[in-house]
Amino acid sequence: MTGQAQETNEVEQLKQQLRQMQENFEKAQNEQRQQINALTQKLDELSKQQQATATVTVAPTNTSAMTDRLKELDDKVDSVVEAQKKTLLSEFNPAIGFVGETIFSQQSKGSPQNGTGYPGGFDVFQRSVELNASASVDPFAKGWVVINGSADADTGETSLDVEEAALQTTSLPWDLTLTAGQFFGEFGRLSYIHDHELPFVNRPLVLDEYVGGESKTPGVQLSWLLPIEHYVNLTAGMGTQFGDSPDAIGSYRSMGAVNYFGRLSTYFDLSPDWQLEGGASWLVNPDTGNVNGETAPNGMTTLTATRRLVLDGDLKLSYVPLRNNQFQSFTWGNEVLYSDNQYLANNGGGNFNETVGAWGMYSYFTYKWSRNWSGGFLFEYTQNNQENAAQTYGYSPYLTWAISHWNQLRLQYTHTQPNAATGNQPNDAVYLQWVWIIGAHSHGWQAR
Amino acid sequence: MKLKSLVVAAVRQSAANSRKIQSAAFCRKPLRLAGIWIVALAAMCCAAQPAHAAKVRVVTTFTDLADFTREIGGDYVEVRSLATGIEDTHGVPMKPSFVPLLNRADLIVLVGFDCEHAFLPALLEASRNPRIQLGHPGYVDCSKGVTPRDVPKSTDHSEGDVHPYGNPHYLLDPVLAKTAVQNIYNALVAVAPEHEADFTKNRDAYLAKLDAKIAGWEAILAPFKGAKFVSYHEHWPYFADRFGLVYFGTIELKPGIDPTPHHIQELITTMKSEHVPLVVREPQFPEKVPALIAKQTGATLVKLPIMPGGVPNTDTYIAEMDYIVHTVADALKK
Repeated sequence: MTGQAQETNEVEQLKQQLRQMQENFEKAQNEQRQQINALTQKLDELSKQQQATATVTVAPTNTSAMTDRLKELDDKVDSVVEAQKKTLLSEFNPAIGFVGETIFSQQSKGSPQNGTGYPGGFDVFQRSVELNASASVDPFAKGWVVINGSADADTGETSLDVEEAALQTTSLPWDLTLTAGQFFGEFGRLSYIHDHELPFVNRPLVLDEYVGGESKTPGVQLSWLLPIEHYVNLTAGMGTQFGDSPDAIGSYRSMGAVNYFGRLSTYFDLSPDWQLEGGASWLVNPDTGNVNGETAPNGMTTLTATRRLVLDGDLKLSYVPLRNNQFQSFTWGNEVLYSDNQYLANNGGGNFNETVGAWGMYSYFTYKWSRNWSGGFLFEYTQNNQENAAQTYGYSPYLTWAISHWNQLRLQYTHTQPNAATGNQPNDAVYLQWVWIIGAHSHGWQAR
Repeated sequence: MKLKSLVVAAVRQSAANSRKIQSAAFCRKPLRLAGIWIVALAAMCCAAQPAHAAKVRVVTTFTDLADFTREIGGDYVEVRSLATGIEDTHGVPMKPSFVPLLNRADLIVLVGFDCEHAFLPALLEASRNPRIQLGHPGYVDCSKGVTPRDVPKSTDHSEGDVHPYGNPHYLLDPVLAKTAVQNIYNALVAVAPEHEADFTKNRDAYLAKLDAKIAGWEAILAPFKGAKFVSYHEHWPYFADRFGLVYFGTIELKPGIDPTPHHIQELITTMKSEHVPLVVREPQFPEKVPALIAKQTGATLVKLPIMPGGVPNTDTYIAEMDYIVHTVADALKK
């Protein structure tokens, strides 16, 4: 029994010892779990703090760079889209521009003695407000319209005039170009250039006298670029009117009463910087149909125009330095015209035919010494094409200030010296011309 | 050849007829002589039409584009540039002698972005060559694929002679010039596909050469990143972007508008405060104002070409860029 009791005590002791150890273990485990939890919590907090710190220091930099980059890309895309919009908005509209031209003048003699068309004394003259519109008509042609609102220099009476409204082919074979409608026919050098593009204030006297100002013609014109390596262009055309002369045809016009005109032009590179352009032109109306009406130049003989013939030669020498032609250039332009009109004359003793040969010319030079400034001198001589004894000389120094490509002032002094046969008197005139352009404006091939 | 023979025969016939001019029979037939001449002229006209020759006839507006075209086209192309290299990009004279060249061209290669607006539209119209008109395959606009800089929000003339499609002087960035090379390559392959293999080989060789040079140019200008400079006209923003320089402004008041005294003074003041060390003058602009600005600010004045041939010994694009990069680096070292 004693042995069994001792074994029982040992078992109990061992059980108690085991329970104690289990309790100690659980207690230690709990303590450690608490410590682990505390450490974990602390670690989480520290991690959050670190993440927060990292977010504060790094993220803004990345965001800023990305934002800048996105903004830059957005701007680029916007700018391209805006450019496209600009194109699209006007896609089917013609290019439109206005040219305004105001002339302030002071004449020593009154009109008509000064022979200029301007009134005597001080005058402000809105010579033109010109609306230009041009666009492709289709793949085969382009069209343009020039409408000019102008005032009569002498009376101030205003009028609206369609200067040009024409269609021109762009894809004819054999290097041909056909122009039809109302346009400035190719004749001479300065006849088919608009007033505001002239190198001086007024169109030369001889062009006013023999051509009638601008070479406006309702008609058709065919131009051919010769298929050779040298530049030669041949133009021929016909029109019911040529120049500003009124077309006072009666009820029927024969083909003989039509104006026929043409021009042959060529060009030479004398050196990379020096250029020479020349041309020959002709204009004939075999039966003028009383275009100019009756005149009585000497109070003795009445003339009725029956045939119009004008021959023209022009030559232009230019210095256009390749390197800096926007800042320096020189031009020497010349044009000589010969008029050989026929008239039905009546001196009171019966009708007879009379042919009057007359000639005139102009010569000018323009020197450009900066992008904005140029100056030159124009010399003119002309005989009246009905009375060749009536002669006029003109001398005009001029100074041009091109404030920009679209804004130009020109100061010109002109002395005209007519002889007694003209019925005019010597005249001194000062002109200040102001030309401005808004909207689309490009100098075409002819106005180069 | 047949057409030329026809011309010769017609002229000979005409000459023979002229010897008989006194015969009464011929005098009664004046239309015959006129008819022969009309046939002769028509035959001349047809004979001279630009039927496809062995070489592709290319006219480029500027010399860099001519250089690229020669590099790609090799012996298969005949290249003429309207500009010789010393002109302003917006001031190439409209010479009538350009018209026959353009009349016979298979391709007109241009910078685009309206860079040539002052002379090319009128010349193209005068050329009467439908192959090279806008919208036709012979009209090769090298700006295709280039993202323009500085596209104006307004094209009002109060901003000067602005380019509505953005700054067109991207060829001064040699990486963007590679786009132009590719556009020229595409056009040459389109017009002469039988030579595609040679064009491809030439293009790849040239681009490899250009890439090597670009790496060298970037290394030369790397020490000067952030350096500021001004120029007469706005030719250099793309160049500045490529090489990490800062394009500070123009001496011109606005594009195509000369500087006013106020603008010059303002530019000098800001250049001083911002420590701008370089003034660039393009050779076609007068030296007086850039020299004055350089003197007043203590900046170095350099003359840089804007296309090959603009200054001596820059006959190719690579030679031009070599000159530009070395000149800028030398100036900035001072």
